[in-house]
Amino acid sequence: MLEIKNLTKIYPDGTLALDDVSFTVEDGEFLVVIGLSGSGKSTLLRCINRLIDPTKGQIIMDGQDITAAEPSELRRIRRKIGMIFQHFNLVDRSSVMTNVLSGKLGYINPWASILHKYPPGAKKEAMAALEKVGITDQAAKRADELSGGQRQRVGIARALMQNPSMMLADEPVASLDPVLAHTILGYLEQLNHESHISVICSLHYLDLVQRYASKVIGLRDGQVVYRGDREDIRKMTDEQFKEIYGEEAIRVNAGEFDKGEE
Amino acid sequence: MSQIIKQEKKRSFVTAPTAAVLSLILPGLGQILARRVQRGLLMFGAMASIIGLLVWRITLLGRLADGFWPTLFKSLDRAPMFVGFGLLAIAGLWLWIVIDAAKQTNPNKQFGNSIFVLILVVFFTIGWQISEIDLVKLSSDANEAWVPLSKILWPWEAAVTHDTDTVEAGAKVLVDSEGAAPPVPEKSEGEPYLRVSPRKGELSRLDEDNQAIPGTKITVYGENFEPNTRTQIWWSDSIGNEFRPRYQGEYVSVMTNSEGSFEKEMIMPYRLIPPSAQGQQIHQVMARQVSQVGPPLPSQPLILTIELIIETIFMGMMATIFGIIFSVPISFLAARNLMSTSWITLTIYYLTRTVLNIVRAIEPLIWALIAVVWVGLGPFAGIVALTIHSIAALGKLYSEAIEGINPGPIEAIQATGANKLQTIMYAVVPQMIPPFVSFTIYRWDINVRMSTVIGMVGGGGIGFLLVQYIRLLEYKSAGIAVWFIALTVAILDYVSAEIRQKFV
Repeated sequence: MLEIKNLTKIYPDGTLALDDVSFTVEDGEFLVVIGLSGSGKSTLLRCINRLIDPTKGQIIMDGQDITAAEPSELRRIRRKIGMIFQHFNLVDRSSVMTNVLSGKLGYINPWASILHKYPPGAKKEAMAALEKVGITDQAAKRADELSGGQRQRVGIARALMQNPSMMLADEPVASLDPVLAHTILGYLEQLNHESHISVICSLHYLDLVQRYASKVIGLRDGQVVYRGDREDIRKMTDEQFKEIYGEEAIRVNAGEFDKGEE
Repeated sequence: MSQIIKQEKKRSFVTAPTAAVLSLILPGLGQILARRVQRGLLMFGAMASIIGLLVWRITLLGRLADGFWPTLFKSLDRAPMFVGFGLLAIAGLWLWIVIDAAKQTNPNKQFGNSIFVLILVVFFTIGWQISEIDLVKLSSDANEAWVPLSKILWPWEAAVTHDTDTVEAGAKVLVDSEGAAPPVPEKSEGEPYLRVSPRKGELSRLDEDNQAIPGTKITVYGENFEPNTRTQIWWSDSIGNEFRPRYQGEYVSVMTNSEGSFEKEMIMPYRLIPPSAQGQQIHQVMARQVSQVGPPLPSQPLILTIELIIETIFMGMMATIFGIIFSVPISFLAARNLMSTSWITLTIYYLTRTVLNIVRAIEPLIWALIAVVWVGLGPFAGIVALTIHSIAALGKLYSEAIEGINPGPIEAIQATGANKLQTIMYAVVPQMIPPFVSFTIYRWDINVRMSTVIGMVGGGGIGFLLVQYIRLLEYKSAGIAVWFIALTVAILDYVSAEIRQKFV
C-alpha cells in the first residue's frame, strides 16, 4: 500500500508544482492521474521514487517512509518501483538487451555491472521479459532502430527486470498512436491483473481512463480536484471533465493523436 | 511597403538649384537637405574615402617630389592610367552627385542607384592598385614558375640513388711559381694513368679591369680508363680543394675511346692563390669516371622525408592525446548544464569559456612561435603548440557534447535503483562516446595537418624540412616532401571519415 500525505513540491524558481496532495493506493490498484500538461502529474510520479525530492510531506510505501530514506535505502526502494516514460528514455546507442538488463542494475554489484558482467540467470530473465512484451526477435538490435511502440515495450521489459511491486507510468502512450496505446496499456493491465502490481499512470484521454482505471485522481495547478473510482469515472460528465481540464477544454476522443508535451 | 512610399513622399527642404550648389560644396549635403539622409551620408562617405585613398596613393607614387603640382605630375607620370582614371572618376562622381542632389528634391524622381555602381567600380580600381595586382606578370613570368612546379609535381628521380664506383687518376702541375715541374707520374699495370703537358704554367686570372686573362693551355692525356665512358676533369688546388674547371663555359669532360684512352685540351682555370701561400704551388689535375653500380637505393631526401613524416604523424598524435587528457576535465567546467547550480560554478563556467575562446582564437602557428622560444626548436615545440590549441578546441567541443546530453535515460537508469557510478556508465557514457570519438578523430586529423606546416616556424616535423628544401631551391626534394604530406593528409582524411562514420 502506498500512502501519500500532504505532498508539496516547490521548484527553486518558485513554481508550486504540488500543493498538499494526499491519497492512497491499495495493492493491485490501477490508479490513473489526469490533468492538463503542467498540472503536476509528472512531478507527482517522480516524487514517488524521488527522482524529484519533495519539499514537504510524506510518501509511505508498505510502512516505509520513502521521503526519509538514505541513499542506499532509496536505491533498494527504487528497484521495487518500475517506471516507464512518455519518451521511453532508452539509451539509444545501446542494444535492446543492454537496455533491458539495465533494469537489474539495482540488484547487482556496481563494479561487475561496469564491466557488463551479469549474474548467470540475468540474460534468460531479460529474454523472458522481452517475450512478455512480444519482441524477443529485436533483442540484438540497437534501441534507436526500433519503432515507438517497440521502444515502449523495451521500456516495460526493463521495468519488469526490476521485479517491481509497483509501476509508475508517466504518460506512457502520449507519443504513440491510439492502437499502440491500447497495446501498451494492455500490458500494464495484464501486469496489474496477473502479477498484482499496482500501477500509477498519468493519461490524457478520458476514453482510456474509463477503459483502464480502477481509481482516478484529477490534478489542477498541483491540487487534487477530483477523486473517483471505476463507477464514478464511467458516469463522469463533461462538466466534471471541464473542471479538471479547465474551461476551454473540450472532450477529445482517444482516437485523436496527442502531440502535447509535458 | 507603405512606410517606404511615405518616405518617398517626404518634401524636400530646399529647391533643386540650392541642393545642387550645396552638393557642389560638400558632396551629399544637397541630398541630406532633400531629406534623403541615408543616400547623402553614403555619398559623402564614398567621396571622402575615394579622395582620401587617392591622395594617399598619389603621395606614395609622387614621393620625393616637392610641392603639390610636382607630386601630382610625378605620380601621373608613374601610373598615368590609375591617377588619370582616379581624377576623372572623382570629377565625374562629383558632377553626378550634384545632378543627383537636384533630382532628389523632386519627390517623384527619387530613384536611380546606378551612381552606386560607379562608386563600387572606383573602389575596385583603387583596390586593384593598392594590392599591386599585375596581370602582365602573371603571364610573362609563367615559364619561371613552371621549372619548380614541374619538379615538385614529379620529383621521383630524386627519390632514388645508386652506389657509385669511381675510377680516377691524377697528375701534378706547378702553377704561378718558380721551380722544377713535378715529375711525370709512373705507370703501373692495370691502373688508370694520367699525364699533363706542359707540367708548369700560369692560372687564369683577372686584371685591374676585371678582364679575364686566360692561363696556360695544357693537354691532358689519359690511358687505361673505362672505354667509351664520359670522364670528368677535376682540379685540386694546393690545399686540396677540388672543383670542376670550365673551358669555354662548359665543364671540362671527355669521352674515352674504345681502348680507354683520351686526349683533352684545356686552359688552366681561375683560382685565387691565398696570400698566405708560400713556395711552390703544386696543383693536381684529375680525371674521374663515376659509374652507377648496384640496385637503386632510396635517396637521402626520401629517407629524411619518411623519417620526418613519421615524426609529424606522431607529433599530431601526441598533441591529440595530451589535448584529450587536459580537455576532458576542463570540458566539465565549461558545460553549462553542470555548472549552473550556483553563482560560483557559473563564474568558473564563464571564466573557462572565455579562456578557451581566447586560446582557440590564436592560431597554432603563433603558439608554435611562442613554444619555440619556450622549449626550443624541434618537435616538442610543435607538440606544445598543438596541445595548447587542441585543449581549447576539444574543451569547447566536449563541453558542448556534455550540454547536448539527453537527461531522459539518466532519469530512467536512476529509477531502476542504480547508483551514481552505474548511472554514468549506463546512461551518460553511451551518449558521450559518439561525439567524443568524432571530435577526437577530427582533432587528430587537424593536428597532423597542422604539424606539417608548424615546422615552418621551427616546430619540428616535415614542415621544417620542406622549408629548408625550398630555400635551398632543391625543388625535387621539396616535391618529395609535398607528395608525402598530401598522401598522409589524404589517407588520414579517409581514415578519420571512416572511423567517425562507425561511431556516430
